[in-house]
Amino acid sequence: NQYPKRGRPGPGEGFNISFIMQDGEEISVQAHEGESLLDVAWANDIDIEGACEASLACSTCHLILDSESYSKLEEPTDEENDMLDLAFGLADTSRLGCQVLMNKDLDGIVAKLPAITRNA
Amino acid sequence: FANGPSFEDFVSGNKKLSAEEALDLKETVVDQQEAAEAAAANPGKPAKRPPKMRLPEWLKTPIASGKNYTRIKKNLRELNLHTVCEEAKCPNISDCWGGGEHQTATATIMLMGDECTRGCRFCSVKTSKTPKPLDIHEPENTAEAISRWGLDYVVLTSVDRDDLADGGSTHFAETIIKLKQKAPQILVECLTGDFQGNMECVARVATSGLDVYAHNIETVEALSSYIRDPRAKFRQSIAVLAHAKKVKPTLLTKTSMMLGCGETEAEVIHAIDELRKADVDVLTLGQYMRPTKKHMRVHEYVKPEVFEKYQKMAEERGFKYVASGPLVRSSYKAGEFYISNILKKEKQLGVPVVGNDAVVRLADAGIRV
Repeated sequence: NQYPKRGRPGPGEGFNISFIMQDGEEISVQAHEGESLLDVAWANDIDIEGACEASLACSTCHLILDSESYSKLEEPTDEENDMLDLAFGLADTSRLGCQVLMNKDLDGIVAKLPAITRNA
Repeated sequence: FANGPSFEDFVSGNKKLSAEEALDLKETVVDQQEAAEAAAANPGKPAKRPPKMRLPEWLKTPIASGKNYTRIKKNLRELNLHTVCEEAKCPNISDCWGGGEHQTATATIMLMGDECTRGCRFCSVKTSKTPKPLDIHEPENTAEAISRWGLDYVVLTSVDRDDLADGGSTHFAETIIKLKQKAPQILVECLTGDFQGNMECVARVATSGLDVYAHNIETVEALSSYIRDPRAKFRQSIAVLAHAKKVKPTLLTKTSMMLGCGETEAEVIHAIDELRKADVDVLTLGQYMRPTKKHMRVHEYVKPEVFEKYQKMAEERGFKYVASGPLVRSSYKAGEFYISNILKKEKQLGVPVVGNDAVVRLADAGIRV
């Protein structure tokens, strides 16, 4: 089954993600396996734009991850790198939220929103 | 009910605001009070994000419904046509499609599908790296449908197709040629993309027989890299407009800008000056409205008086006509503005302003201005 489960995970069922907003507020949410960070953010009303709807045509879902989770991820594709290069406040652990899919290795991932969104 | 809440309980605040002050507020009084109370109750916690701005009165539009609206929607689906009105969630849809007592309905047809290869932060048209292939029957079907509708003025637009070698310019030009063959009396306006700056493609569309060539710069130069797709650039867009004029000097060129994205007055004036330098004839200014939560927030709801101020400034700088207002969009009442302004000028000068027989014919036919 290639699609993540629907609906919000029950208590203890999902993986934990902590989003850190621009003003420092930390929001903890739960995700199913296979959901992208962007999907989870939208489902939990977290204010992240995804102007191109995950088609790798913008950099508005740019997130800065904690280094431990970042190292567990696969290398980004060339297309993702092209878009990431245009993002504001690019860090060593930056990724596009629409390309990071949750699994049990990433449980507890911390994703920080960059201070400003820029599209080029 | 006797002991229940009364109207007074729902009306908030002890402060009474004058109408002026109410319009000046970026947040409602309720939100400000709530924010202050929340901050006081939770010392040490970072302040909550600024509460959402309420939509000002001048931007509220009715929900689309009615006979004309449903008929047009049905028509379009049967013909497999898309409109930017629906895809980009335009607030004027009930106004334009509903028609009115004396108005005919207008719709802006969007060619080449409903999936765009670009992801601009203000636009809710679907984005895809691999949109569906072009429908080879679209030019014929669109031209046939429009010629049967008996319109005087039609606006055609398209999505960006960076996946195609010619950016879709041949398909677009073909639609215009066919339309002019079937119905030469219709005035055609085209709102195109920038074809990634490929001037051959621009020329192809510009020389296909249309009357008004439109391409939107969307915003001021300073914000272009923030809100448009990376492939779209301010200077490139200006070059497109200049080139269209160059290959066909009798063409009217038109552009549009959104306000309320965070630009300053100086930046707007700079953009207007650059447009005039490229000999752009028509300018429209409108308020950016956030189409969905997945798009850019509105920075500011620009007041109608400011729109009027920009209108005067632009007219002084020599645009043939300027439409400026919160709900104005690139093709909003495009036909009516075009005809009424050109005809007005002709009356003033006594000679045709744009060498277009169709305009004179319309005036002879007594088209209401």
